[in-house]
Amino acid sequence: MRTGIRYGIMLAVGLALGSGAAALQLKQSFAAMGIENGPWRTGEKVGTADASVATRATVALRGLLALPEREAIYFNAATDSQGRELSGKCRYRVAGGAIDARWWSLTLYDKAGYLIPNPASVYSVGSAAIPPAEKANWTVDIGRRRTGAHWIAIPDDQPFELTLRAYHPSRDLLAKRGSVPMPRIERGECRA
Amino acid sequence: MSRWIGPVVVAVIAAVAAWYGTLAATPTVIMDRAWMRLSEQAGYNKMTHTPLVTAERQTIVRPSPDLAYSICAFDLSKAPLEVMANAVPDHYWSLTVFDSVTDVAFVESDRDSKGRPIRIALATADQTVPRGVRKIVMPDGKGVALIRVLLNNRAEIGAVDAYRKQSFCRPLEG
Repeated sequence: MRTGIRYGIMLAVGLALGSGAAALQLKQSFAAMGIENGPWRTGEKVGTADASVATRATVALRGLLALPEREAIYFNAATDSQGRELSGKCRYRVAGGAIDARWWSLTLYDKAGYLIPNPASVYSVGSAAIPPAEKANWTVDIGRRRTGAHWIAIPDDQPFELTLRAYHPSRDLLAKRGSVPMPRIERGECRA
Repeated sequence: MSRWIGPVVVAVIAAVAAWYGTLAATPTVIMDRAWMRLSEQAGYNKMTHTPLVTAERQTIVRPSPDLAYSICAFDLSKAPLEVMANAVPDHYWSLTVFDSVTDVAFVESDRDSKGRPIRIALATADQTVPRGVRKIVMPDGKGVALIRVLLNNRAEIGAVDAYRKQSFCRPLEG
């Protein structure tokens, strides 16, 4: 084989492998953002040129126009606390304690990052809905029907993701985002 | 076999470059598409106070159903842009300005303004703004200004609209 052809083939192979690896990395939900805390994934320096290229690309693809962390920090989960993919076939309970921020919300999205139509039009639960007595020990149920005081609807069997937004997070939460206690995502009954 | 050492090195270098280049280009490509979509839907250099997000009404990926959004896609090619975010009492609200590659050029919230409105002028480095106007230098001409107001519940939207709909963006007249 001629030298030029060998170089040409390997150049094409390299370009295809590199761009394919990047596409695969972005497809793997939020793992590319780098910081893990149980089932939750987050990143650093969102909204700045100092963020890693993987974080910047992931945020653009999955959370375009996100706030920088001085205003809000975003935690995303695509699995429960045992690492199983979140699925509309199952019921879930998200259980957490006080989150060190001015306000927080938990929102359910489809795998592409959009709200899922449901008859009740219930997409999220915010901290304003949690009574003071429950602030340190709250639960949010996820399922087809309301089963508790705080509930987010998943109307069908499709896989889904959760986003926890914390507005005006404390310095401590920002500094310990990878280790601070985060809400557990517990799977209940599943349909076959 | 030794004839393949050079081509394999080229392949490795090309793979790393393609990986980095794909990730690095993603924000620019996605922001460009979003800018086009926003400007086609609502025009540019003007503030659009969007209704509350529902599953049937989503413009941007991963919208928050707990926020009221006002959005202004802008193009500074002809003039600087004046942006005013009106205060919404007793609520979190913020003004964020994104450049054409999704980086935040400006962000302030009610905590920074201490409850007062925020008024800025977006301009490129070579554009001048009137004396006394707070100039934010943009790296290039295109971007998006976004106002968020956090709702305690969605029923608040009527009361919040009375404040947020006074916010605007408009070209600065010379």
